[in-house]
Amino acid sequence: MKRSLTTLTVTSVVAAATLALAGCSGSSPTADASDGATETVAPVTLTMWGTYGNGGNTAQTDVLNQTLIPSFEASHPGITVDYVDIPYADLKQKLTTGAAADELPDLVRSDIGWVAQFASLGVLAPLDQEMDDFSTYADATYPGSLATNAWDGHHYGLPLDTNTRVLVTSQAALDAAGLSEPPATFDDLQAMATALAGKDIATFADSGLQGWNILPWIWSGGGEITDADLTTSTGYLDGAESVAAVQMLVDLYTQGAIPNLITGNSGATSTSDGLPAGQYATILDGPWMRDIWAGQYPEFAPIYAPVPAGPGGSISVVGGENIVIPATTEHMDAATEFVRFTQSEEFQLAMATVGQMPVVESAGTKAADADPFYAPFATQLATAKPRLVIPQSSEVDSILSTELTPAFEGTTTVQAALTSAAKQIDALLTSN
Amino acid sequence: MIDSTRPVAVRAAEHPSAARTARRRRLAGRATPYLFLAPALVLFVGLIVYPMIRAFQMSFYDWKVLAGATSTFIGFDNYARAMGDPVFWRGLANSGVYMALSVPPQVVLGLLIAMLLKSKSPSQPVYRVLFYLPVVTSWVVVSLLFKYLFADQGLINWALADVLHLGDGSTSWLSSRWTALIAISALGIWKGIGWSMMIFLAALQGVPESLEEAALMDGANRWQRFRVVTVPAIRPALAFVIVMLVIGGFNVFTSVLLMTGGGPGGQTEVLLTYMYRQAFTNLDFGYGSAIAVLLTMIVLVLSLAQMRIFHGTGQEEG
Repeated sequence: MKRSLTTLTVTSVVAAATLALAGCSGSSPTADASDGATETVAPVTLTMWGTYGNGGNTAQTDVLNQTLIPSFEASHPGITVDYVDIPYADLKQKLTTGAAADELPDLVRSDIGWVAQFASLGVLAPLDQEMDDFSTYADATYPGSLATNAWDGHHYGLPLDTNTRVLVTSQAALDAAGLSEPPATFDDLQAMATALAGKDIATFADSGLQGWNILPWIWSGGGEITDADLTTSTGYLDGAESVAAVQMLVDLYTQGAIPNLITGNSGATSTSDGLPAGQYATILDGPWMRDIWAGQYPEFAPIYAPVPAGPGGSISVVGGENIVIPATTEHMDAATEFVRFTQSEEFQLAMATVGQMPVVESAGTKAADADPFYAPFATQLATAKPRLVIPQSSEVDSILSTELTPAFEGTTTVQAALTSAAKQIDALLTSN
Repeated sequence: MIDSTRPVAVRAAEHPSAARTARRRRLAGRATPYLFLAPALVLFVGLIVYPMIRAFQMSFYDWKVLAGATSTFIGFDNYARAMGDPVFWRGLANSGVYMALSVPPQVVLGLLIAMLLKSKSPSQPVYRVLFYLPVVTSWVVVSLLFKYLFADQGLINWALADVLHLGDGSTSWLSSRWTALIAISALGIWKGIGWSMMIFLAALQGVPESLEEAALMDGANRWQRFRVVTVPAIRPALAFVIVMLVIGGFNVFTSVLLMTGGGPGGQTEVLLTYMYRQAFTNLDFGYGSAIAVLLTMIVLVLSLAQMRIFHGTGQEEG
């Protein structure tokens, strides 16, 4: 009896230990090529992490898995691509833990805002060194998108898809304001606010005060966040043009023309509901909204227009994803082959049919011709700029929103808020 | 045939192989309890103790997340940074406010409901289940639910304005620090009452009926019986509930992350959301770990102090 109990206990200990170890180590995501064979001969499986299926939308993963990857595999015998879809909210954490555990895939579709951060940590391979023909591909893409791959004198990826924010409004809102077309300038927007005063429609709504939200106004107002060489923010973010642009928004906020959604009221109606519901007259948003509204508000006919122009013109912010290769990959040649494939017209145009805007300028023009919906976004992209390409871009976002919130709430001035934000961003820039 | 009345040692001397078996049996006998402990212990050490030690170690480094990268030892720099970081202090204050707002109602209401549900009645199991239901419901689900309840056009504003006629219902609950903390605390209270109720119900079963009857005979009214009979009898449970709730209060995370995300402008950040942001958004694992270690020390000191207080007063009365 005693012996059998002991055996039982030992078995359970071993089982528990195995379980714990299995949980800790996981399995290697990359299939190992056999050691003796050369890379060109041995079959290679590339693992790619991405967020194409975000929101349960299978249209993009279907195109990738059923059309593009088979096409790549057909033209590259011996290489298989295993795409793993990861929810957007989890990908950054998965990359972080993957880097810590030395278990990264061979290819990653990364948010443009993460490339500098992971590059500075040494997670990514510099593609301009790994690919002899890098500049051929780089030169074909939009400069604003390409810039998001740069860190410390190297490029760590190539643009994969892009997007930008444009002004979106509705005919009902224009009618209420007595306008025949969307507000094209800062002055038009302010006039719209006057016309809508007391009508229970907010003139403009946005869901935060981070770079993604506030930079289109600062740039269009003629301001900047830093100098071109990323050495100082003081003198730029707190310059007269930046202050004036933000002041315009603060004035609209004070008049009640911008709801407190912008200062972080998570209980306010979201922009994607408020615009079709007639609560908000204008918002800034991206091309992905077409499918969302088509599903949730089939009756709603959004009107797309450029970001209202200020003294600096109409300048929006670049969004999108880049394709990067973790430095730990054992299949660099195969991985760079797939990167080249993502830059092809075949790949770019196939993805354009399911809502991903091309990053290659020639493909972008073709996509806009094929689907006029993309035209306003393609026009806006020509001048759109990226947010700061530094490892601490997430900290810049929290600095901007923390400092600007009290300025909107009236407890400090815009000048004081931006001066303080610029000083903190200076500190981040000097630490690089 | 072996003479079982002779001592084992004698038998062992006669039969060396029997001695080995006996020794092995004795060893196995002593090892058995540890072997039973082992599965849980392996998991506990692997999944809790080891990460804790690592976090403690990380807090003294400018920690590089990449496997194999060299991290720089920076001593107490991360701790010094926390001391001078206004968001850290605001997070600590918010965690404290949440604890202060949510713990007393959970104790008082939990005990009250337990008293009401103590008496036997046919409907009593139904009520127990209903009060306990929030405890086993997912934090994510109820956080989103409360976010919608407290939205600008949510049920709370509607009820305040159109049903109770208190104000015009235009309060943006989640847009400022204090109203948002009230909303988050309301969720904590609603979700936590069932748990304290369950502990109190169990403790109330142990209150001797003879004491209650004796107090009744002595002419004690309901409040007096509660104060001098019930409360002293459930004292250990009371101490346990308060200590656990205070620890839980400082560990508030999911509800804040989902209801306000620490906004607006970091006004509702609590220690754990700030720690999470430093570690997983800014990838500053050293600073994030330092915040975690500081939180652990604060909770440890508070818990020790509470246990001392309860122990001390308990002896005086005993």
